Amino acid sequence: MIDILLSAFALSLVLLSINSYFGLEIIRRGIIFTDLAIGQMAALGAAISLFFLEGSYLYPISLFFSLLAGLIIALISQRSKNVEAFIGLMYAFGFAGVYILLSKSYHGMETFQKLMAADILFTPIGEIIKTAILYAVLGVILFVFQKRARGVFKDMLFFITFSITVTSAVKLAGVLVLFALLVAPALIALSIKRGIPLINAWIIGTLINLFSIAVSYRFDFPTGYTVVFFNALAALIVTVCVRNGKMPVKA
Amino acid sequence: MKKIILAAFLLTALPALAERLQIVTTYPYIASITEQIGQERVRVHALAGGQWDPHTILPKPSFIAKLRRADLLIINGAQLEIGWLPPLMNQANNPRIAVGSKGLLDLSRFVQLMDVPTSVSRAHGDIHPDGNPHYYLDPVNIPLLAKAIMDKLIELDATGAGYYRKNHAAFIQAWNEQLTVWDKKMAKLKGITVIEYHKNLDYFLARYEIKLMDTVEMLPGIPPTSKHIAALEEKIAGCKVCYILQDIYNPDEASRHLATKFNIPMVKMPHDVGSVPGAEGIFALFEEIIRRITHD
Repeated sequence: MIDILLSAFALSLVLLSINSYFGLEIIRRGIIFTDLAIGQMAALGAAISLFFLEGSYLYPISLFFSLLAGLIIALISQRSKNVEAFIGLMYAFGFAGVYILLSKSYHGMETFQKLMAADILFTPIGEIIKTAILYAVLGVILFVFQKRARGVFKDMLFFITFSITVTSAVKLAGVLVLFALLVAPALIALSIKRGIPLINAWIIGTLINLFSIAVSYRFDFPTGYTVVFFNALAALIVTVCVRNGKMPVKA
Repeated sequence: MKKIILAAFLLTALPALAERLQIVTTYPYIASITEQIGQERVRVHALAGGQWDPHTILPKPSFIAKLRRADLLIINGAQLEIGWLPPLMNQANNPRIAVGSKGLLDLSRFVQLMDVPTSVSRAHGDIHPDGNPHYYLDPVNIPLLAKAIMDKLIELDATGAGYYRKNHAAFIQAWNEQLTVWDKKMAKLKGITVIEYHKNLDYFLARYEIKLMDTVEMLPGIPPTSKHIAALEEKIAGCKVCYILQDIYNPDEASRHLATKFNIPMVKMPHDVGSVPGAEGIFALFEEIIRRITHD
């Protein structure tokens, strides 16, 4: 049993590594639901591949859709104040689009859910290592170019790397686990005055994930939902208890 | 490391527990039949709860632990588990119950399946290419499953052969006695017309010559469209429909709408052991199905 829990824990850490950075950034920019919108557009891409192409080119098409979504959000965030409303609508658009397409497809919802909703219990260690390498490459790219890029290019760099991350993370862990790991540790880290927020988010996220996976094993709860529950609970409690006015928003 | 030593110690210290044949079944109805035949010589765990949608089971860590310990895995087959079991089997990685090994028993191979597509082409999609997987709701199929389970238990545990045969014979006798009672009760429903939400009860309906007019849902997991509901309403207006049979896990708004509009009773039908109170065990499940549809 230990090996299964270890691989779930390893996956949660791999997801936490780069997503803590993105989490701090999307909270700072005030575009929290970007990952849901991008994830849903990736799902729409998958549904289009299933419906029109019988499931071929599924990954490239869904990556294309998420990149497109990321680029559009990047452009809109440059020129509109109501980015969050736009992002919310994009999510609704993707969600409804998936349902409309699948209502005409004999593959139906079952096939689709099987493709989209993974559980972190089941990810083979090979997939985790591949993802770790992908995130390391993206991390290096961000580290090298983020400081040099300016204006719209900086945004495009951010949203392209974010889209790639979201597409792979949703496939591995599902949209809810990704959302929790993205936002909760970052939100808690921002309420801590000491140290570097990114490092704090990593430490906090690691502790919460370790605790969640232990609880899921001990009480036999579904692992993904337990991770979501405790990450969200911790962030809710910390946010309610931190009294000193507005939280510092600095990535 | 400490935990592993402790586990090893416990395993050696409790040989009485380890000696029983460890059996995992995907659904509770299989566990119920298996317990009747294996009784004291087996330990049976069902993975899915009876009240869940059998097509999509939310996995928990204990599922993998159970699959790792199993000497025998008994599944419904006909692709009912396709959406949730394969990744669990992969992760459990237990060679005793792997595909193709003698520790995996697929019950769908022992019955005649309905709605088997004549040609599995991409045009019709890949839903249930093996046919309708809800075959166990035909009470006449249950003895076929019991026989298959007995044969498998004997194959894996030959020393218990006599014991399994005796239990099996007792089970079949009790089942056949009930069957005559059920047949008598169901006789009065022969020839009536019903609608069901999902194609759950097709085998049961066919057994008792009840006509299925249509299903409320068009595709699993997709709510019915307004066009489909309109077509259903036209059909219902044209003939006498006695019941709308609704399962316990799908949304029932559409069925409720039709039931109210045409003043037809909507009956919630159990689909597995443990799905509703009173359906504990394979006998009680059919007892409850028949009680609900005959208004006893």
